[in-house]
Amino acid sequence: MMKWMFLSAISSCFFTTVFAQQQDTLSGNGAITVFTATKTERALSNIAVPVQIISQKTIQQAGSLRLSDILSEQTGLFMTNGFGTGVSMQGLNPDYTLILIDGEPLIGRMSGVLDLKRITVGNIKQIEIVRGPSSSLYGSEAMAGVINIITDKSRKNTLGVSARYGTYNTADFGLKGSIRTNKINYQGFGNFYRTDGFSIRPNSRERSVAPIERFTQQHNLGYRFNDRTNLSFNIRHNSETIKNNITVINNGNSINSIGVEKNKDLNATLQVSHKINDQVKNTTRVYGTQFQSSQELISDNGVPYLDVFKQQFARIENQTDVHVNKQVEFNLGGGYIHETANSTRYDNSTSIKTNRIGYIYLQSEWRALNKLTFISGARYDHNELFAAAFSPKLALQYKVNTNISLKASVGRGFKAPDFRQLYLNFTNTAAGSYSVFGSVEAQKIINELNRIGQISSLEPSFYQLSNLQPEFSTGFNLGGSYQNEQWHITANIFRNIIENLIDSRLVAYKTGGAQIFSYLNVKNAFTQGIETDIKFRYNKQWSLSAGYQLLLTGDQAEISAINDGKVFTRDQNGFSRKMDRSEYVGLPNRSKHMANLKLQYDYQNFFANTRALYRSSWATTDTDGNGIFNTNDAFAKGYIQLNMAAGQNFNNGLSVQAGIDNALNYTDVLNLPNLPGRTFYLSISYNFLNKNPK
Amino acid sequence: MSKMKQMIFVFGIVVSLVACSKDDNSGTSAVVETITVKDLPADTIIGITPGAPPTGGFPYGAGRYTFYSLETNKIVPASDSASNKWDLAFKGTTIATNSGNSGPGGAGAFVFVGLFNDLKTIPADSSFRTDNAPSAFAITTGSNRGWYVYDGINQLVTPIPGRVLVVRTASGKYAKVEILNYYKGGTTPATTASDAIKLNTQRYYTFRFSFQPNGTKTF
Repeated sequence: MMKWMFLSAISSCFFTTVFAQQQDTLSGNGAITVFTATKTERALSNIAVPVQIISQKTIQQAGSLRLSDILSEQTGLFMTNGFGTGVSMQGLNPDYTLILIDGEPLIGRMSGVLDLKRITVGNIKQIEIVRGPSSSLYGSEAMAGVINIITDKSRKNTLGVSARYGTYNTADFGLKGSIRTNKINYQGFGNFYRTDGFSIRPNSRERSVAPIERFTQQHNLGYRFNDRTNLSFNIRHNSETIKNNITVINNGNSINSIGVEKNKDLNATLQVSHKINDQVKNTTRVYGTQFQSSQELISDNGVPYLDVFKQQFARIENQTDVHVNKQVEFNLGGGYIHETANSTRYDNSTSIKTNRIGYIYLQSEWRALNKLTFISGARYDHNELFAAAFSPKLALQYKVNTNISLKASVGRGFKAPDFRQLYLNFTNTAAGSYSVFGSVEAQKIINELNRIGQISSLEPSFYQLSNLQPEFSTGFNLGGSYQNEQWHITANIFRNIIENLIDSRLVAYKTGGAQIFSYLNVKNAFTQGIETDIKFRYNKQWSLSAGYQLLLTGDQAEISAINDGKVFTRDQNGFSRKMDRSEYVGLPNRSKHMANLKLQYDYQNFFANTRALYRSSWATTDTDGNGIFNTNDAFAKGYIQLNMAAGQNFNNGLSVQAGIDNALNYTDVLNLPNLPGRTFYLSISYNFLNKNPK
Repeated sequence: MSKMKQMIFVFGIVVSLVACSKDDNSGTSAVVETITVKDLPADTIIGITPGAPPTGGFPYGAGRYTFYSLETNKIVPASDSASNKWDLAFKGTTIATNSGNSGPGGAGAFVFVGLFNDLKTIPADSSFRTDNAPSAFAITTGSNRGWYVYDGINQLVTPIPGRVLVVRTASGKYAKVEILNYYKGGTTPATTASDAIKLNTQRYYTFRFSFQPNGTKTF
């Protein structure tokens, strides 16, 4: 069940040469365009919010296989484990980062986590990371930021294959090609990935990364009616089969279950764009996606277990871009979403839960002066199931001169309560028979249980149960960048104030002592810090990049309680004493310091790099019993992970690459179960067309 | 050695090894001494019910309370359970008072939030609760409700810091109690400790208390 964090790094590199090498971020931002920040194509140098681009070349040279591999090497992002591999951005949980493929959202979150291992990087042209709330354009989930995966749309005919093999029998195969005529273009992509998985716990039957097979295919067909009108159709299918061997230990009693988990993703997009005239462009997108997950287990003592989850999401959206004049441009859009889910974890697996959302958004860009640009935007989401959300945003960029640019933005983000928080109806018989009920179910079920005498007590939180509200955040980002021939330095200060956070609370006890939990809007928290990236090109061969994030987090209620002297811990004698504000560490599982360092050597068609990733210690368990995380609690040790890769492109279309991940062989059985020890890989790719890598 | 044997063995050697020590009541007016009681067994675990959850697999003890007198600082034999000789009785995480339907005494208690040393006088408006077992005890049972919190992931019981059990004894005098630890030796096992260690060392109370023999509410 536990998926893995870093294994991906073991895996492969695809098509090192198939695609003409993309421009790296170092080599001039002017040429790179970004879509995600404004929902329109823009030069990276003209973006007023913090944006980071990861190029295809960077992904390939890191030897990444899955999306989480490459994201784990970026400043300020860390991968979480549990319910798959999620990404935490600006200190917020994975629930609050929207993941898009070609601008369309991925669904199928488990407990709020979208498993990034589901996404192969084999056909990615670039990854765009926008930090800070972007709900003004994208609606729900874009609270911490947006990660948009732009897939490759080749400009010429290509055909390439790739293969990679590494430790734990991790293998990855890819096939990618494109055909282009005057009117029609097609690109197809297929990827197969498998691994034996591993366990870093000796003598454990259960693997921290289970044996898995994944198959992904994506097809994109474009048709150009004329210079003004284009149509494209895109379909992606991803399926994974995971062999589960799960041991639940309860009071020394272990129960083993074996079985298979299957996850399937299907996404389809139809897009028509039409330039009405030189000033006005209209785009209509119809998107449908489905995620299906099933887990079938049978335990040693023959007890079967079936868990099924199915989610569907359909959306139609229209956006009009109006280029008024050189100073003013605006984008107006609106759409309708129909979303459904059903699960064995709800009251009845055949009862389909539905939500409908209508929304409109407007964004305007005003180049007030040559050097000064304002972007303002707002979006209104009308929800069928819960309160409406209004998400404004304001950003400005000031170009001091050709080297220095300043950015400031403030925006509001939201996340709507998900189906789980509304409808979950789950009792864990394997672990103490506790139950979790979604907010819609909780009152109904508990009142009924109470009526038949199965409730022993109602907790104060029970009386606070009400309709869930969306979670909101207000994000402030203030940054600057400096760039010349050799240096590119960016720094950004951020603060996110998060209100109405949904958390589970104990609401009642059943007779017999089993606990019942439900969801409430109970928490207010903040995350703040600094993100810095420095890139330095020493000469044509050598370059260096370094990144650092300082992160401070906290829960407002906890801080007030500490300031009021109501929080205690224990001294070395075990006697209680008041806890000091300085001992408070904020939200758990967050490192105060994170850093990365990359040294890269390029010579003709050869490259080699070394990448070091550092995370300082993070709080894991409240061991002093005061309910909050402080320096007296249990921490995971800080660590360094070192990854290395080298590769050579040959002029006959062949390229090879080899790499070592986690070269220092750092492991932490308890806190990093998904980080294997040192792993190796070798990959080969061959281009049938366009053999010259340059 | 099977787990069962191990447990019985451990249980055998620790039965009622109750050590009592006295320490200075430093800093306060020193009218009342503070006593620390170590490793008071409270229905220690002797086995696990057969089967798997939810029907089985639960650890169990002999089902007996350990009765304690704060006045005399001694364990009281179970044969005296129907007397005024004891003030508190311990069984697992449940702490009964010699009151209500738990015993014939005039005891009572409530959980005070604050520091042991800061509680110098029991506030006049305090209301002492009495036992109505098994549904309600004067000292509230349950995780994060009275004196302890249970970490279900690591299966560990931790006394909440800053909780003082304010006790009226069976004979109507007053005491204050701070539970320091729930495991043998006064040290909570590491979260990574084996289940056997967690099971074998739990249900041993370490606590400190002050008993005011003169009947006033001041310590």
